[in-house]
Amino acid sequence: MTVATTWKQKLAGQVREDWAREIDIFETQIDLRKKGKVEEKLFAETRLRRGTYGQRYDNGQRHDGEKTQTLPFPSGELTKGPVTMWDAPGMQRIKIPYGKLTAEQLDTLSELAEEYSDQILHITTRQDIQLHFIHIEDTPDLMRRLAAAGITTREACGNTVRNVTACPYAGVCNTESFDVIPYANALTFFLLGHPDTQDFGRKFKIAFSGCKDEPCGLTNFHDAGAIARTRTVNGEVKRGFEYYVGGGLGAVPYPATLFDEFLPEEELLPITQAVCRVFARLGERDNRARARLKFVVKKLGIEEFKRLVLEERAKLRQDERWVSFLNDLHVTDEKPLKPGSELAPGSYPAGFEAWRKTNVLPQSQKGYSTAKVTLPLGDFTPAQGRLMAELARRFTGDSMRATVEQNMLFRWVPNADLPAFYRELAQAGLGSAGADHITDVTSCPGTDTCKLGISSSRGLATELHKQLSVISDQLDPAAQGLHIKCSGCSNSCGQHHVADMGFLGVSRNVNGRRVPHFQLVIGGQYKNNAGSYGLAIGAIPSKHVPKAVKTLMDRFVAEKQPEETFQAFVARIGKKEIRKLVDQLSAIPSYEQDPSYYSDWGDPREYTIGDLGVGECAGEVVPLVQVGLADSERELFEAQLLLDEGSSDSAAARAFSAMVLAAQALTREKNSFLGEGVDEIVSEFRAHYYDTKLFFDPFAGGKFAHYFFRAYEHRGEAGGSKEGAHQLIEEAQLFVEAAHQCYTRIAGALP
Amino acid sequence: MLSERLQLKLYLEPSPHFELEALIPVFHRFIREQLIKELMIDVVDYSHVPAGPGVVLIGHAADFYVGELDGAFGLVYSRKRGGPGPEGRLEDALRRLVNTARLLEQESSVKLRFKSGELGLRLTDRLHAPNDDATFASTKAEIETLFGRIYGGDVAVERVVAAKEPLSVRIKANGSPSLEALLEKLGGPPEAAS
Repeated sequence: MTVATTWKQKLAGQVREDWAREIDIFETQIDLRKKGKVEEKLFAETRLRRGTYGQRYDNGQRHDGEKTQTLPFPSGELTKGPVTMWDAPGMQRIKIPYGKLTAEQLDTLSELAEEYSDQILHITTRQDIQLHFIHIEDTPDLMRRLAAAGITTREACGNTVRNVTACPYAGVCNTESFDVIPYANALTFFLLGHPDTQDFGRKFKIAFSGCKDEPCGLTNFHDAGAIARTRTVNGEVKRGFEYYVGGGLGAVPYPATLFDEFLPEEELLPITQAVCRVFARLGERDNRARARLKFVVKKLGIEEFKRLVLEERAKLRQDERWVSFLNDLHVTDEKPLKPGSELAPGSYPAGFEAWRKTNVLPQSQKGYSTAKVTLPLGDFTPAQGRLMAELARRFTGDSMRATVEQNMLFRWVPNADLPAFYRELAQAGLGSAGADHITDVTSCPGTDTCKLGISSSRGLATELHKQLSVISDQLDPAAQGLHIKCSGCSNSCGQHHVADMGFLGVSRNVNGRRVPHFQLVIGGQYKNNAGSYGLAIGAIPSKHVPKAVKTLMDRFVAEKQPEETFQAFVARIGKKEIRKLVDQLSAIPSYEQDPSYYSDWGDPREYTIGDLGVGECAGEVVPLVQVGLADSERELFEAQLLLDEGSSDSAAARAFSAMVLAAQALTREKNSFLGEGVDEIVSEFRAHYYDTKLFFDPFAGGKFAHYFFRAYEHRGEAGGSKEGAHQLIEEAQLFVEAAHQCYTRIAGALP
Repeated sequence: MLSERLQLKLYLEPSPHFELEALIPVFHRFIREQLIKELMIDVVDYSHVPAGPGVVLIGHAADFYVGELDGAFGLVYSRKRGGPGPEGRLEDALRRLVNTARLLEQESSVKLRFKSGELGLRLTDRLHAPNDDATFASTKAEIETLFGRIYGGDVAVERVVAAKEPLSVRIKANGSPSLEALLEKLGGPPEAAS
C-alpha cells in the first residue's frame, strides 16, 4: 500500500471534483507567482477570492516601540500582492454559511488551527471562522482538508458575495415566520462562483432573518437583507420575504431600503441575481470608498434602482435552480439526536443557574433548548473545538451555529441534559455565563492583526470584559443587557454602529504625542434587525474608556424610566449631556507623569499609527477578462506539465481548454449571458470576434482563430501522439497570446 | 524526526507571583532587542482564553508561547517550518526552547522558574507523524537517544493518549540540571535559524 506523502494524495476521492480542481489551480497559481509568471495584483485578487488575506506588518515593516524594524523574510522581495511580502503571515477566512458547523467540520478546523495557525480559532462578526498567522504556502493543503469536510473558502474575501449570514435560531425560533435556512442555503450555493458575481467593484453581503423584531439577522446593514414573511392568498399561505437592499456599515453607515415588502420565495434567487448584475454594471470601481451597493442605491434612488433590477430580471436566462430547491425545503432540517425532555429538579453544578439564565433559551420544539457557549472575543482552542464537536455528537447532533456575537450556539439540547452539558463546558473553561450581555464584548481583530486597525479594539474589549465581569453579578438587569461593540477603525467590522455603546479606534495628538482613543458611538439599536445607527459623540482616550462605560451604565440605571431602553434614555437626556461626560474624560496626564496612556490596551509599545498598511478588504479590481486570460495561461502551463509526464491526451485536452477559457473571457465582454458550454462559446466567439474580424491579427489575419476552430473540431479524439499534443500546445499559446492582444486593442489599454 | 512541525514544552514551577500578562512587554522587548536568533514578528495576547496558548511570541519559522494548552503552564517552542533536517530537528528545538527559557528566567519582571527535567512534545503534523504506535515508537527511540545524551542516564517517555490530538508524549529526564548547563550540552545559544 502506498503511503500518502501529500495531503492531496491522502484526501484523493474525498473532495468534490470541482473543489479539488479549484484548489489545484490555486496551488499552481502559487507556483507561478513564485516563478514571477503571475502579476502581483492579479495574484492578490486570486488569493483574496479564496479567503487568503494579508495581516498587519505584511509590508515587512514593524514599529517595535522605538523605531521601525524591517522584517527580513527569507523570500526576499517576493510578494503576494502589492506591498505584501510573500512570507508574511496571513489570515485565512473560512466561510461558514449561516454559521452552521458539523462536528466533523469543527474537528477539522481544530486540526488546522493546531497545525497551521497560532492554536486559536476565531469566530467573526459574520459567522465565519478565521485562522491567523498562516503561511501562504500552507493554504492549498488547508483548503483541501476543509474541502474534505465540506467547506470551501472560495469567495470568502475580495470583491465577491461574502458569507451569507442568517439568524442562528432559524428553524427552532419561537418568533420566526418560517425557517429561512433552506433559502439561505440555496442562495449561498447559487451565487457561489456564479458568473454574475465575479465582476463586482466591491464586496456584497447578504443576511437572512426569520422575524423582524429581533436582532439576530441584522438585515438592515446588508447589501441584500431578507426577512421571512407569509401572506395568505386565496386561503393559501404563501412564503416570501421583506426584501431590503443597499444597507451597509463602513465609515458612513446606510440603512437598507425596502425593495419589496413581499418578494415571493420563487423570486428570491432571480431578483438577487438581477441585483448583482446591476451592481456589477453600475457600481463604482475607481473610488473604492464609494464602491458598495449602498452608494448605487442612494445615487439612483430606490424607484430607479428597482426599475433597473426588474429590467435585468426580465432579461435573465431561465435557471431551474431558482425554484428547484423549493421542492424540498426540508433538506436542511436538523434531526435531534435525542428525545426532548424536561429539566428535573435537583442540585445542579455550581454556576449552572447563572449560566442557564443568560445562555439558554427554550426552543419552539417542546423539550429542547438552545445553549450558547460564551467564547471570549470569539476565540477558542483546538481542544475546546474538539470538546464542542464531541458535545454535538453526544447531545445534539450536527446543529452548531457560529453567531455574529462571536459565540457558539447549540440547538436541540434536551432540557434534562442541560446540567451535564454545562458540566462538560465548565470543566473545559467554557462555562461562562453572560453570552450576549454586557460582559460579552464584541470586537473586530483591530490592531492585533488588521492592517487598517488604528487602536486596539481587542485590547479594549478584553479590558472591558475583565472589569465588567468582576461586577456583573451586582449589575442591574437593565445594565446587564447592554451591548458593547468595538471596532479598531471606522470600517465597522466590529459593528459598533448598532451597539448600545460602540467604540471605534481613532488617534489623537496630545502634547505632541499620538495617543490611542476611541470614539464613543451611542444611540444605536440592535433590535429590529439593527434598526438604527448610533452617532459618534466624541473621542475618549483609550485608557479612560472603561470609566466612560461604567459612568454611562451607572447613570442609565439610576435615571432610566420603567421599561426604557438605553437608546430611548440617550434620546431623552440628549447627546449634549453625554458629550459632557466625554469632555470630562478627555484630559490625560503628561507622558512624564504616566506614560501608560501613550500606549494601547494589551500593547506596551509606545503608540503609533506607523504600522497602518494598505487594507485588502476592498480586494483588487481586476477586469474579469484579465482573470479569464490568466486562467487560460495557467491551463497552458498545466498542459505542458502533463506533456512532460507523458500524458499526451490529457495535455491536448488541457491545451484546448486553455483556448476555450481565453475565448470565453473575451466573449463575455460582448455577451454577459454567455454560459459555460463549449459549443456556445465557440459559436459566440465566432460571431463576435471572427466574423467581425475583431480578433484578426494585423499581420496573421485570422490564423490564430483557425487553431481554435480546428482544435474544437478534433476535440476529444483519443490516441493522439506526443508530437500532436505538443503542436496543439504551441497553437494554444499563440491563440491565448492573440486573445491578450485583442483585449489590449479593444480596451485601449496600451498604444 | 519526520515531522517538520513540532511543539516542545518546558513546564513551569508553580508560582503565586506568576502573571501571564507580564510576559507581553518581555516578548516585545525580545523582538526589539532581537534576543532570539530567529525572525520574530509580533506578540499576541490570548490570556483571555481559558486553557489557551496564553501569550504568544509569533515568529516566521517558530512561535514561542507561555500558556497552558495541555492543562499545565509552560513555555512552548512551536516549530512551523524550515530548520534542520530530520536528524537534527528535535535537538535544534530543544536548544531553542532551553535558550528562550533561560532568557525568561533571567527576567526579573516575571519571576519564572522551569522544571528543566520535565518536558512535553507534540508532533503537529498529522500527515507525516500520525498519532499511531509506529510514530510513537520511533519518536520514543529518538527522545531516549537525545535526552539520554543531554541529560545523562535514562529518560521516561510516556504517551499521552487523547483521541484526535496530535501525538503527544511526556518526558521525564534524569535529574533537573540548570538551563545553562543544558544549553552548554546543546552547544550554547542557537545561531540564527534558517
